[in-house]
Amino acid sequence: MHGIERGSGSLSGDGGRVGGIPLLRVQHIDAYYGDFHALWDVSLEVGESLVVSIIGANGAGKSTLLNTIAGVLSPSKGTIEFHGKRINGLMPYQTVAEGISMVPEGRRMFPRLTVLENLEMGCYIPKARKRKNEVLQKIYELFPILEERKNQLSSTLSGGEQQMLAIGRALMCEPKLILFDEISLGLAPLVIKNIYQRVKQINMEGITALLVEQDIQRSLKAAHKFYIMQSGRIRLEGRPGELSQEDIRKAYFGL
Amino acid sequence: MELLRSRRLYGIVLIVLALITLPYWASRYWVLVMLLFSLNLALSQMWNLLAGYSGLISLGQQSFIGLGGYALGVFSIYYGFPIWLSIIIGGTVSVFFALLISAPIFRMRGVYFAIGTWTVAEVLRILFSNWKYVGYGMGLFIKPAYKLTFNTIYFTALGVGIGSVALVYFILRSKLGLGLMAIRDEETASETLGVDIFRCKLSCFLISAGVTGVVSGVLYLHNIFIQPYSAFGIDWTIRLVFITIIGGIGTIEGPIIGSLLYVFLHQWLSEFPSVSLLILGSIAIFVILVAPKGIMGTIQEKLGVEILSPRRK
Amino acid sequence: MLSILSDLKGPIMNGLLLGGLYGIVGIGMSMIFGIVRLVNLAHGDLIILASYLSLVTMTFFPVSPLFTLIIVIPVMCLIGFVVQYYLLNQVLGKGMNPPLLIAFGLSIILQNLLMLIFTPDARTLLTSISVKTIPLGSFLNIPLVYLVDFICSLIAIVLLSRFFNRTYMGKAIRAASDDEGAAQLMGINTKTIYAVAMALASGTAAIAGILVGMTFTFYPHTGPEYLIISFGVVIIGGLGSLLGTFLGGLILGLSQILGAHFLGPGFQLLSGYLILLIVLTFKPTGLFAKG
Repeated sequence: MHGIERGSGSLSGDGGRVGGIPLLRVQHIDAYYGDFHALWDVSLEVGESLVVSIIGANGAGKSTLLNTIAGVLSPSKGTIEFHGKRINGLMPYQTVAEGISMVPEGRRMFPRLTVLENLEMGCYIPKARKRKNEVLQKIYELFPILEERKNQLSSTLSGGEQQMLAIGRALMCEPKLILFDEISLGLAPLVIKNIYQRVKQINMEGITALLVEQDIQRSLKAAHKFYIMQSGRIRLEGRPGELSQEDIRKAYFGL
Repeated sequence: MELLRSRRLYGIVLIVLALITLPYWASRYWVLVMLLFSLNLALSQMWNLLAGYSGLISLGQQSFIGLGGYALGVFSIYYGFPIWLSIIIGGTVSVFFALLISAPIFRMRGVYFAIGTWTVAEVLRILFSNWKYVGYGMGLFIKPAYKLTFNTIYFTALGVGIGSVALVYFILRSKLGLGLMAIRDEETASETLGVDIFRCKLSCFLISAGVTGVVSGVLYLHNIFIQPYSAFGIDWTIRLVFITIIGGIGTIEGPIIGSLLYVFLHQWLSEFPSVSLLILGSIAIFVILVAPKGIMGTIQEKLGVEILSPRRK
Repeated sequence: MLSILSDLKGPIMNGLLLGGLYGIVGIGMSMIFGIVRLVNLAHGDLIILASYLSLVTMTFFPVSPLFTLIIVIPVMCLIGFVVQYYLLNQVLGKGMNPPLLIAFGLSIILQNLLMLIFTPDARTLLTSISVKTIPLGSFLNIPLVYLVDFICSLIAIVLLSRFFNRTYMGKAIRAASDDEGAAQLMGINTKTIYAVAMALASGTAAIAGILVGMTFTFYPHTGPEYLIISFGVVIIGGLGSLLGTFLGGLILGLSQILGAHFLGPGFQLLSGYLILLIVLTFKPTGLFAKG
């Protein structure tokens, strides 16, 4: 089982392809929210140890995409492969066991549980429980404030602290891939900067990140590769610096 | 369409005529069955009005059954009032009692409302069991009812049964009914459209209380003997819940189908009352899992058939 | 004044001890209502089912009712798990009414099943404890069985509390009740978790059933009586707090016994109902509700 160890992926070329297969491969998926057709023929690849961003306006389908990868939704068409293994159709509690963790939109704390209990829930799966204390220490190093507040009810934390708790919680099961859903929402710029620094730190330890973000600049700064979504479709993909502002703007607004 | 409607109307008229003339061409057994059917029909129409149309799941209709029955007993025995008057008084007492408890009861929502109404009935049960005036827990024999013939009671019950269906039909076609259908379909939205939800629900609560009180009077004409333990017991409501759920909650035809089913089941298994309730309970669970709209509701959904539709065409 | 108080010491003591029993009666309902957001209308009948199961066990093994816990608890836990997993889980999220109505159906089925199997005769789990009284200090005699009820309830509630606060499964149950979706993202299979919660609640019903059977007589139709008591305890004590439920039990027990003392034995239940109605009207979330 992967620990938080030094990553081996290089940042050149496509980076992080282990044996030629990307860590996460989404191929031609469609997804529905009830009757609403939310994703249309979406494909993307995330190489190991990379940070990949998905950018788009509200309603573009970014969260839907993450939810589909995590298993909250099932794609009606297409496949999702993680480490070469098919994971579409798995329930959310099963994708965790595969090594995918999610920091959900809006944090989704367990308000009546303490900070520590929230973190403990992060390593609920049996594999992770054995290493709880080691991993907890690392989380506390990353986010010292969590150790300070560990016995407080999570509902008493500030927005930024809750976001750190959500990230810490997602790290507890030592995932290979973390899905970050709009982590900057409702936070002050300084706090956001702080958090993105930690995300970079986490990635430096070898954990792959798939980020969903409305803020274009923030996204491009953090990512090795990005995708732009609009109206449930992928419009553009590329590396920061490769594409012009004009191209990005056009894809963002679907022009 | 016109032809279909008049065919439907003829069908209904025929059935009603058959029921009215029943004592003259059918055996007493069948008259009894239809008597019980009519009474259960009326009671479940009222429960349906509350649960299916107003969204009020009440587990306390037995309060009004007890009050109606005891009013019949007390006023006809102690005061010598004519029976029809005592029954009307039963309905009136029920309405007043409903009004009395409406203030606290309507502050309760959902399951709290259900348990609240049930608790009120249990309170009444205990009060009547300890009240000397009504004979404590031993109850009353409603002797004046002996004077009536079986057929008279049947016709009264039939009248009440048909009347309840007509009542619900006309309520739903009225302004109150429009409000109710809006509530049934989408409560929060209807509030923003100006439907006075509280008024609608209260009206239904009072109407169902009054009618239940009256029906109970007729019921005890048949049963003759009333005592608090059974009169205010939850058993009544259990029956109504199952009848309405299985027949189809929120439809006029639902209680009709459900009552028929219940009465036949009950008569068929009259030696084994526990078994009939067991079967009823199992059918109800099955219905909720598989066809939550009940028999009629599912037919309406799948086939678009409505027999007694209050919808304006 | 003092003489009034000393008159009351018996009823007060009895009320509190009875309240302990009511606490364990209500705990199962509190758990399910607070966790799965479902009102288990069959809870009272599950308690009585446990009483009958104990009765049956005692015909095979001539032991004291408390020993039958060893068999009755696991059986009840299994029943609870199966009911939740295969029945109630199917209708979760389809609105408030379907689960309520299914539980109602189960209640009726249970009552009539018990009626058919055991006849409507009154039963009791006879034991020497049931009839003894013991002196408390020099000025009070209390029924021994009430004391046993109280102690068992307290132990059960403390154990439950530890379970919810110290074990992974317990915390997972709390997490799932806070946010089901987020819990799933942690790897918690919420369908199974709810079934475990129901199994636990049924386990507490097992304990309650045996204690009830030792203390009072029971019939197949006694279930609803304890349903209303559970509901009363939960409403009075408040949701979300085990301790609150226990306190709610004490208050209910106290009001019942004091009511009977002042108004007469026929009014024991009435006092309880009136308190319940009052709390329902003014503070339905309960007196000690958390969050």
